[in-house]
Amino acid sequence: MQTKEELLQRLSDCVFEMEDEEVVDVVNAYIECGYDPQEGMLQGLVDGMKRASAMYEEGEYFVPELIVCSDAMYAGIEEFQKYLPETEDNSIGKVVIGVVEGDTHDIGKNLVRIMMETGGFDVHDLGRDVPIDTFVDYVKNNEVDILCMSSLMTTTMPGMSAVIEKLKAEGLRDKVKVMVGGAPVSPAFAEKIGADGYTRSAIEAVEFAKKLVGAA
Amino acid sequence: MAEIKIRQTGKSLYCEEGTNLLRNLLDAGIFVDNPCNGKGICGKCKVKILSGEVSSMSETEEKLLKPEEIKEGIRLSCMTEVLGDIEVETLQKERKHEVLTKGYMPDFQKDEYNNGYGIVIDIGTTTVVTALIELATGKELANASMINAQKHYGLDVLTRITYEYEHPDSGVRQLQEAIVNSINSMIEEACQEASVDKKEIREIDVAANCTMMHMLLGVDARSIGKSPYRPEFTEAQELLAKEIGIEAAEDTRLYCLPQVSAYIGADIVAGTYVCELQKETGNVLFIDIGTNGEIVLASRGRLLCCSCAAGPALEGMNISSGIRAAEGAIEDVKITEQGIKLQTIGNQKPAGICGSGILAVVKELLRTGIVKKTGVFVKKEKLKEDDYRYPYIRLNGTKREFILHEDPELLVTQGDVRQVQLAKGAILSGFIALLNKAGIRMEDLDKVMIAGQFGAHLPAESLVGTGILPKELEHKLVYVGNSSKTGAYMTLMSRKVKKEVEELAEKMEYMELAETENYERIFSESMIFPSFSS
Repeated sequence: MQTKEELLQRLSDCVFEMEDEEVVDVVNAYIECGYDPQEGMLQGLVDGMKRASAMYEEGEYFVPELIVCSDAMYAGIEEFQKYLPETEDNSIGKVVIGVVEGDTHDIGKNLVRIMMETGGFDVHDLGRDVPIDTFVDYVKNNEVDILCMSSLMTTTMPGMSAVIEKLKAEGLRDKVKVMVGGAPVSPAFAEKIGADGYTRSAIEAVEFAKKLVGAA
Repeated sequence: MAEIKIRQTGKSLYCEEGTNLLRNLLDAGIFVDNPCNGKGICGKCKVKILSGEVSSMSETEEKLLKPEEIKEGIRLSCMTEVLGDIEVETLQKERKHEVLTKGYMPDFQKDEYNNGYGIVIDIGTTTVVTALIELATGKELANASMINAQKHYGLDVLTRITYEYEHPDSGVRQLQEAIVNSINSMIEEACQEASVDKKEIREIDVAANCTMMHMLLGVDARSIGKSPYRPEFTEAQELLAKEIGIEAAEDTRLYCLPQVSAYIGADIVAGTYVCELQKETGNVLFIDIGTNGEIVLASRGRLLCCSCAAGPALEGMNISSGIRAAEGAIEDVKITEQGIKLQTIGNQKPAGICGSGILAVVKELLRTGIVKKTGVFVKKEKLKEDDYRYPYIRLNGTKREFILHEDPELLVTQGDVRQVQLAKGAILSGFIALLNKAGIRMEDLDKVMIAGQFGAHLPAESLVGTGILPKELEHKLVYVGNSSKTGAYMTLMSRKVKKEVEELAEKMEYMELAETENYERIFSESMIFPSFSS
C-alpha cells in the first residue's frame, strides 16, 4: 500500500504534468486506501495547480499548459466528489465573475476563475456577454465578497463602469469589492471607474483577491 | 492659454491649461504614435518634456517607462496634462511605409467603353490604395496610396469604433471626413499624374473591411464593436460619389462591394471572388492575415468563413521592440553559428522589429532550439558556455530574453514570444474550426491562397516555421497580393462581375468562432509551436 504522502504527491504531479486520465486512477487508489478526500483535493490536486501557476508566473508555463493542468485538476475533483458528503463551505471567500455585455471573449476570464478556485475561493461564473443588471442583481441577491469583470475590447470597457455606477445607485457598492481585468484595461482605467483593483494576470488576481478578503 | 513649443520645428501651438498633451499634438497634426488612442496601454506616445509645467507622473507611466526614460524627462503624452507654457521634443519620425498595390487577377470579360475613367479604392484600416483606370482599355494609368488618416482616432477598428462611442455627436462625421479627404487627395494626385480631368471619372468602386465601409459612408459603426457584432448593412451600395463628399463629376457613381458580416467585409468578398473560390471543386483556403485574420474555406461547393482576432502582434505592436513595417524595421532574421544576420527595410540601421521580422525571428528561435515548442526559452544553464546561442540569451528576473541587436538594444522577450503564440493560436484555431465544420482534414486542402499587404511579406518558411500554417501546406501556398483592390477593379470593369460578387456574398456562410464548440481547447492546442527535429 502506498503512503498518503506518496499518493498526495502523485495527485499533485498528475495535475502539474497534465495527466488528465491517470489522475482518476490515482484518486481511486487514494480513496481505496481510505484517506480523506478533502485533503486529497487540497494537498494533492490543488497543490499541483499551484505549482503550475508558479511556473506560469516564472514564464515557463503559458495559457495552454494552465488549461490542460486545470483539466486534470477538475477530472480529479469530479472523481473525489463521488466520495464526498454534501460539501461544507470551506472557501475563503465568494467571487462572482463574468465578461461584460457586448463581449464574447472569455478565455482570460476562465483562467481567472480556475485560479480563483485553486486559491480557495467559491466562484460563481456568470459567463460572457453578461448584462449590467445581471451582475448587479447577483450582488443584490447573494452574499458576495468580490465581483470580477473583464473585457477584451475597448468598445465594451465602459460596461464595467456602468456596473459600478449601478451598484452605487442601488446602495450596493460597499457590499462588494470590485476587480477588473482584460487586455485593454489599465490600472488608470480601474482607478477612474472606481474599481478596487486591477491585476495584469490571473495569478496576480488571486493574490489581490486574498488581500481584499483578508486571507493573505 | 498655454504655449506648447515643439523643439524640432521651432513652431508653437496654443491650448487651454489642463488639457491633454497628446490630444493637442494630434489636433495640430503632429505625428505621435498612439496605437491605443490615448488609453495609457501601449506606452508608445512618448515625448520629452524639455521645460515647463505638466501634471505629475501617473502610476501607469511609472510602469510603462524605463527608469532612464523617466530621468530624461520622457512622458506618455496621453497621460500628461499641460499646466503652463512648455517645450517638448517629439520622439518618433513618421517613417515611410511600403504599400502593396498589385496582385493576381483571373481573366474576365470587360464591359465596352469608348471613353471615361474609373477609380478603384481599397480601404484598409492601416493603408488606403487608389488607382485610376482608363475604362476603354482597362489600363491602370496611375495609383496613389497613403496611411489611413483615421489613424488619429486609433490604429485598429475597435479603437475607432470606441471613438464613435465616446463622441456620439461628432465621431461618425469626423471619421468619414478623414477618409473622404484622403480619397479626394489621392484622386487628385492620380489624376494629375495621368493628366486626367477628374470630371471624366464615371465610377468609383470601393472594397474595404466592414468598419471602414461604414465609416466611409457615414454610417454609425458602433454595433460592429459589440456582440452580437451586427453591421448596419451588408449589401452592395450604389450612390453618387458627391453624396459623401468625394470630388469628381456631378454624376460620378460610387459602388461599394457587398459584405458578409461585421468581420467579413467587402475586401474579403473581393478576394474570394478574385481567387475564384466560388468555382472551386476542390478544397481551397483563402486567408488574409492581419490584426484580424479572415479565413474562407471552399469545400464541396460550400464557402465557410470566419474571422479571428490575432491582435496587433503580427503588425509589430505589443512587441517590446516592435515597430510597424517602415524604413529601418527588421523584416528578416537568420541565426547562425557565426552570428545573427538582420535584414531591414531600406537597408537602414535597425530601429525595431516589424511583423514579418517578428515571425522570422520566432521561427529562427524555434529552429535553433532557443525557444521550445511550448513557447518557453531554453534555460541558459542547460547550454554550454561555448554554445553559439549562449551569449544571446539573458536572464531578466525569472524570465529569459534574446538579444537580437545590441545598439540600439533590440530584444525578443518571453512576453513577445507569448504574443506571437496568441496570434498564431488565434489564426490556426480559426481554420481548424473551419476544417472541422466542413468535415475535412488538413491534408485534404489543395491550395492555400494568401492575400493582403501583410501576408505578401510572409515567406512560407515563416508561416510554416512558426506553425501559423501546418507543415503539410508548405508547398501549397499561393500569394495573391492585394486581392481586395483587384476585386474592386473587376467590378468597375464589368457589370456581370458586380452581379456575381453580390451572389457570392450571399453564399458565404459566416461562422462565429467564439460560438464554436470546444473553441477554447482548439485555441489552446493551436498555440503550441511546431517542433524542429534536427
